[in-house]
Amino acid sequence: MSEHRIELKVDGQPVVKTVEARTTLGDFLRDECGRTGVHLGCEHGVCGACTVIVDGKAVRSCLMLAVQANGVEVTTAQGLAAADGTLSPVQQAMQDEHALQCGFCTPGVVMTLTALTAGGARPTEAELRGALSGHLCRCTGYQGIIRAARKLSGANA
Amino acid sequence: MKAAPFDYVVPDSIEAAVSHLAEGAGDAVVLAGGQTLMPLLALRMAQPGVVVDINRIRELSGVSRLDGATRIGAITRQAEVLTDPTIAAHAPAIAQAVRFVGHHQTRNRGTVGGSISLGEPAAELPCTALTLGARIEARSTRGTRQIAAEDFYLGPYSNALEPDELVTALHFPDLPAGTITVVHEIARRPGDFALVGLICALTVEGGAFSRARIGWFGMGPTPLRSPQAEQALVGQSLGDVDLTEIGRLAASETDPLDDHHATAAYRRTVGARVFRRAVSQALEARKAA
Amino acid sequence: MTEMTHAARFVGQRIARKEDRRLLTGNGSYTDDVVVPGMLFAAFVRSPIACGKITRFDAEAARALPGVHAVYAADDLRTLDIKFLQLYSSPTATPPHLWPLADGRVVYVGDPIAIVVAESRALAEDGAGLVEVDYESEDPVVTLDQAKALAKAVHPELGAKPADEVSTPDDPGMAEVFANAAHVVTGTIRHQRQAHSPMETRAVLAQPKGSGELTVWVSCQSPHMAARYLSMAFSLPAHSIRVISKDVGGAFGLKVQLWREETAAVAAALILGKPVKWIEDRLENLISANQAREQEMTVKLALDADARLLAADLEYHSNIGAFPHGIGANGLGMMMFPGPYKLPRIAFKAKAYYSNTVGEAAYRGPWMIESLARETMLDVAARQIGIDPLELRRRNLITKADQPFNMVTGPVLNWVTPTETLDLAVQKIDVAAFRKEQAAARAEGRYLGLGFAVYVEPTTMAMGGVLSTEAAQVQVEPTGKVTAVLSTHSQGHGTETTMAQVIADSLGVPFDDVTVLEDDSSRGGFGAGAGGSRQAVAGGGAAMRATAILKDKIKAIAAHMLNASAEAVEIENGMVTVAGAAEMTTPLAQIAATAYFETERLPPGMEPGLSAQYRYRPPPIVFSNASHACVCEVDRDTGVVKILRWVASEDCGVMINPAVVEGQIAGGVVQGIGGVMMEEIHYDEMGNPTAATFKDYLIPTISDVPEIEYCHLITPADNEGGYKGVGEGGAIIGPPTMVNAVADALAPFGVRCLDLPLTPPKLLALMDAAEGI
Repeated sequence: MSEHRIELKVDGQPVVKTVEARTTLGDFLRDECGRTGVHLGCEHGVCGACTVIVDGKAVRSCLMLAVQANGVEVTTAQGLAAADGTLSPVQQAMQDEHALQCGFCTPGVVMTLTALTAGGARPTEAELRGALSGHLCRCTGYQGIIRAARKLSGANA
Repeated sequence: MKAAPFDYVVPDSIEAAVSHLAEGAGDAVVLAGGQTLMPLLALRMAQPGVVVDINRIRELSGVSRLDGATRIGAITRQAEVLTDPTIAAHAPAIAQAVRFVGHHQTRNRGTVGGSISLGEPAAELPCTALTLGARIEARSTRGTRQIAAEDFYLGPYSNALEPDELVTALHFPDLPAGTITVVHEIARRPGDFALVGLICALTVEGGAFSRARIGWFGMGPTPLRSPQAEQALVGQSLGDVDLTEIGRLAASETDPLDDHHATAAYRRTVGARVFRRAVSQALEARKAA
Repeated sequence: MTEMTHAARFVGQRIARKEDRRLLTGNGSYTDDVVVPGMLFAAFVRSPIACGKITRFDAEAARALPGVHAVYAADDLRTLDIKFLQLYSSPTATPPHLWPLADGRVVYVGDPIAIVVAESRALAEDGAGLVEVDYESEDPVVTLDQAKALAKAVHPELGAKPADEVSTPDDPGMAEVFANAAHVVTGTIRHQRQAHSPMETRAVLAQPKGSGELTVWVSCQSPHMAARYLSMAFSLPAHSIRVISKDVGGAFGLKVQLWREETAAVAAALILGKPVKWIEDRLENLISANQAREQEMTVKLALDADARLLAADLEYHSNIGAFPHGIGANGLGMMMFPGPYKLPRIAFKAKAYYSNTVGEAAYRGPWMIESLARETMLDVAARQIGIDPLELRRRNLITKADQPFNMVTGPVLNWVTPTETLDLAVQKIDVAAFRKEQAAARAEGRYLGLGFAVYVEPTTMAMGGVLSTEAAQVQVEPTGKVTAVLSTHSQGHGTETTMAQVIADSLGVPFDDVTVLEDDSSRGGFGAGAGGSRQAVAGGGAAMRATAILKDKIKAIAAHMLNASAEAVEIENGMVTVAGAAEMTTPLAQIAATAYFETERLPPGMEPGLSAQYRYRPPPIVFSNASHACVCEVDRDTGVVKILRWVASEDCGVMINPAVVEGQIAGGVVQGIGGVMMEEIHYDEMGNPTAATFKDYLIPTISDVPEIEYCHLITPADNEGGYKGVGEGGAIIGPPTMVNAVADALAPFGVRCLDLPLTPPKLLALMDAAEGI
């Protein structure tokens, strides 16, 4: 089994590590980078709880190998709030709309919404809900998530 | 669900990649988007000795025009297809189909080449390739060849590639002027395996069908076409055509299975109705345009 | 009931949750997030067959794999005398022989045979892949029909008989009631097996310490219950066990009971003397975590010429798998069948059966068959008799004037508002307008449907035993801030917030000044925590009583210090005030500091400090109730159902936090929608599970749910605070509401939709068959 040295940025911090080929990005972030906010809900790419942002795109970290993340920038839910603790607009919208209960699916949802509203983008509510169909939540019935998406969306195209 | 051990290589050229595949002697797998391979590795349903990551091979990316066709590099992300101007101009049906593929997050990584070579029976892109008459460009240490989509799919997840061949690009020939394309699927939830999937390319000239391609996914062990229905359509005028009958004929040519999600009978029945509905909606939209 | 001396400032408000900040920033602390030095990881070797004998077991290659520290099978754990508690077993049931690992026989696919402990999960799985096991396979008992046949014993030591039975005594007059009834309506409701599927799977980390202490982090529904279980299971002194459970990613009943794998992981840790972590993966969760709801009920209703209920005769069967958490024939489901209706006579025969499938665990409203069967059969009755389903309900529902109302099965309904909630739901839907729209749609070949359901929910479940009480310790720190340690526990319930709202109001301090701790069995008193929709009632009541004691003490101290009468003292917003003497206003912090550090200034004989505790015994059952309505459309061509509207008109007494209440209702409703429309755990003839990943076990997504509209009534019962439970309700009332909506849409076809799940192929087949296609 091959091992590989990788260099990447995680939540703005440089990381240099040696990884086994088979280690997923999700496991790497959790076990080697202290990013336990990346949650593994299924490990087969359906539930979305492991979603992180890689070079600006929302991806399922259980479906990438850590070794593939050499040279990339990864953002997780632990890297969004301001230094003074102020929640990001996505995080604040989710709190305001009671969009979470147990919190296990939450970081993944936060990252999809963050990726889609980055740089001031305001997709339509339909676009946000479409992207959110890639997340499973067992607690909330999605009600608050829908309201948070509505708040973050722009006027309908 | 952690993968069994494997070696990982990340070639930076096609030559290097196909060398690895040749050396691997059937124990090497290609890693493109990973959206299908990674779950198989996690479930230990695949236990390759070597994983060949092709994501850093520049020559495998990009969309271009070549000989009256749109050439899509194998590692073009599904998400890129949705915004690519060349595809929008020359092969918009592919973007239509990609809209149904997986989810936003999987489309950011999943590739056109990966999906087409996997040949998942209920997937959109293999059927798109078949219906639109695409050619699959494949390379090995022995050279390059192009395989017609209609010769490519041999069975579920089984294709005409040699174990050491790498899909390098997909060529989608331009459709004749006046072709309308229809993509429709019935799935339990968005992004799920299609219960019934339909892709049509229907050419209308002088108020009648001059050419018809009717393709299905989720309706057999591979994507498949309905040649009898295609022939029956050709020559029919838009005013006279009985889409219900054509739909029944088209669906009768499929070969669906019973599985956990739906029966074969359901698939054929609904297939016929989906044909009627989707094609009449497309014809209505064409009239209005 | 303790009176609150001023208007509630926090109770009743949609206050943002205290938990949210850490959860939104990825700083939650779930069991897998905990790392301890020298931690090892477990994976299981599991049976690939549903029934048979283990004839050979060889772990030599696995044990030799570098990085593997141990492989234990059933015999290796026998150095420990492990006993299994079963929380819910009926007193008449005899449990099967139960061991953490398969003991010579395997009884379901996924049955854990050995635990492999290694330096990483990946290595443990590598090791598990090297274990060789041979079996002598036997034909399994898989389906409910096969289980009912009792052709062979699933557990040989118990013989081939039902796991448990409960029935009413013989009622010779019943036959005559049915014979003479103007209307007799019969139907059978079948519910498929479901998997709880919390987003966080089961998880445990056991850390033994050389001093004979054991710290366990576990994804559970109460750290105290888990600690008690471990103490009894392993015969360890209670004080030597500490269970920590800070954040839990959903449970829904699955995690009430530590079960075989968790116990095996703890056993491995004890034997090895090293920390062992087991994180269930999703494949394991869908194959081997206990499951629920596989049952059927045949209902016969007798009604008179005015469509008034005369009698109900029920026959119930459920498949509870090989090793259920609790063994019982769903007596509560039988008992609740009359619901909020005037049903004068009932007979039932209920049986539960073992099978070679995963055992049952309680799942959100485990008795829900009563509402599902009753509400769907009332609609069937209405159609058969030819009256409006709403009218049929109105003729039989209890009203305020009927209460207190004795259900024929025993419970007494009081302070419930089924008729009132139904009225509100009907108004909100505008039924008349809908029926017009429905008729117009039918003329176009489109099938809209409207379904209602009404129910009462027995909450709190404090009938006895471990469920009898909950405890609260409330302390004002010398800083004036309030720390409360409760026996409540959240897996998403929000009790850190709701209990703080109660305490803040009861004491008169800012909400932000109150911190609720509930994550650690080494502090606070025992309680059952989450389950049975009990925490608002039991936890809220304990919090209020403890706080009342504390408040009296504060008033006494302040009165003494400020030379005032205790009656004139108030606490508002963290300030202690004296009526008519504004200059006496004193920060609570000052009173607290005095209580701890200037004890000579306290009233003579008073115990110093500022804390109080109370163990609250709530009423055994507090009933809440609701009426739900759903509008849906069924696609004639494909059988696909789209939900267009959902109204939840509910009464759970005083709502501590309406956003939390609505969240609980919504979560339950959507689980109910999943059960009716798409979730199915299915086994093939050899007992192989066919829905083993989230690609095949379909749970609702954001695209499958309506935006729920709420109506709230507030009718307190007589318990502390006026709160009632609500957590399970959506999963009880949701399914019949959904089924009735679909059935109404399909009414023109004259078909019944009582065989769940109502998948598109099933619905299409019903419609096509009705039209002879």
